Amino acid sequence: MDFLSQPLLEHSALFWEGYRNTVLLTVGALLGASVIGVIGASLRVWGGPALSSLAVAYVEFFRNTPLLVQLSFFAVLLAPANLGITGDPIVVGLIGLSIYTGAYVTEVVRSGILSVDPRQIESARSLGLSQVQSLRLVVLPQAIRTVIPPLGNLAIALVKNTAIVSAIAATEMLKVAGIIETRTASFDGYLAVLVGYWSLTIPLAFLVDLSERRLGFAR
Amino acid sequence: MTSLAVARNRLPIGRLLLVVLFIALVVAGFASGALPADRWEPFLLVSTWTFLFEGLVVTLLIGAISLVASLLIGIPLGIARSALKGPPSWIVRGWVELVRATPILAILIIIFLGLSRLGLDLTAIQAAIVGLTLYNSAVLAEVVRAGIRSISQGEVEAARSLGLGFGLTMRLVVLPQALSRMAPAIVSQLITLIKDTSLLFILGGQELVGYGRSFFNFYGNLLETYIVIAVIFFAICYPLSRAARRLEAKQPADERIVVTGEADQIATATSIR
Repeated sequence: MDFLSQPLLEHSALFWEGYRNTVLLTVGALLGASVIGVIGASLRVWGGPALSSLAVAYVEFFRNTPLLVQLSFFAVLLAPANLGITGDPIVVGLIGLSIYTGAYVTEVVRSGILSVDPRQIESARSLGLSQVQSLRLVVLPQAIRTVIPPLGNLAIALVKNTAIVSAIAATEMLKVAGIIETRTASFDGYLAVLVGYWSLTIPLAFLVDLSERRLGFAR
Repeated sequence: MTSLAVARNRLPIGRLLLVVLFIALVVAGFASGALPADRWEPFLLVSTWTFLFEGLVVTLLIGAISLVASLLIGIPLGIARSALKGPPSWIVRGWVELVRATPILAILIIIFLGLSRLGLDLTAIQAAIVGLTLYNSAVLAEVVRAGIRSISQGEVEAARSLGLGFGLTMRLVVLPQALSRMAPAIVSQLITLIKDTSLLFILGGQELVGYGRSFFNFYGNLLETYIVIAVIFFAICYPLSRAARRLEAKQPADERIVVTGEADQIATATSIR
């Protein structure tokens, strides 16, 4: 470990805490966004005029406003002084990132559902499959194939967006680099953080490329 | 004909319900005390809007300068990425991939703090323009590369065999066709760019969010100001996302360009169905 500078070695525990929190924010928000996305897309496709308009309003508002403003808003809204739900910036980050990314996932899942020709369901039904069977055996396998590459893309964007949670004082990777700089006046924390982000985004990009080639098929 | 009629009948009901719901929410907010009316009063003043407008101008200027600079750098970079062979192409590719794999906020902070360590003192706004340009030129280079690749090799060969050089083939044959395929991705990236200008606030620069900050420090209406700022950003980005969708709808599905890891390009591509 000789190539690591003294300030980095001294703060390695802090760095890994930041790395863990970045991973935690990514994985947690991806799960949260997926739940929101499936609900949002279902409302959009099967929710009737009122609920589907509501889903559209949610998607359009949250994808067309900056994440920083949303996170700052939630940090104040959920703080003990207001709604009193949480003062933990990581939890606020998880909620904010889930809601922001959920808007994108809604669009992706919706396009996945619509990518399957409704006539296929009719055919499956007329072959004797029940409604649930035809959704599970015919629609779902095709929809998942359509949805995985764009979801992987959103996961990469999500890793990069976790950096913005440092603005509400969550100790994720970028914040840790700032702390190291304040304490030791060393810039090495920022260089380590670059490598840290690349260790997440580059393998993910590779997987997305792979899934695009493997799952791409003619319809 | 029927589907049109259905669509025309369905939408207004939904929108009407939405407006009713919104009004009910606002009334409930005021009634419960969660949205005290006096905290909204500063927004009735003309001076508030002229003040926030100054911040908006800064945001839009930074967005416009960064966009133009990103295009000026991204287009040659994208052409280089697709035309170069061997080690020079690995360097361009490595650069583009690494920049795209980095969070824009990390890029902004590293440029702002790093350049001043190297003795080059930039203001927060200058650093933001450099950082946004660096990131978005890499993304646009990838868009350009995908656009060029989508043009059939036969057209390039035909142009070359007619005696056109590399430059003329690009300028007269490839780029004009590629541009219309790239347009939705470029407009989508502009949405990302405009939203990312808000990060200048973290560097301590004064743009729309920073102006909002000074505003609510004075009036103490934090949540209300964030809502108003979000609405202003929405008013700029929503028309852009509509425009991106309209452009995308004109493209055949197999000619869609989405750069890996760019959420707003994915949102545009998946909104067409």
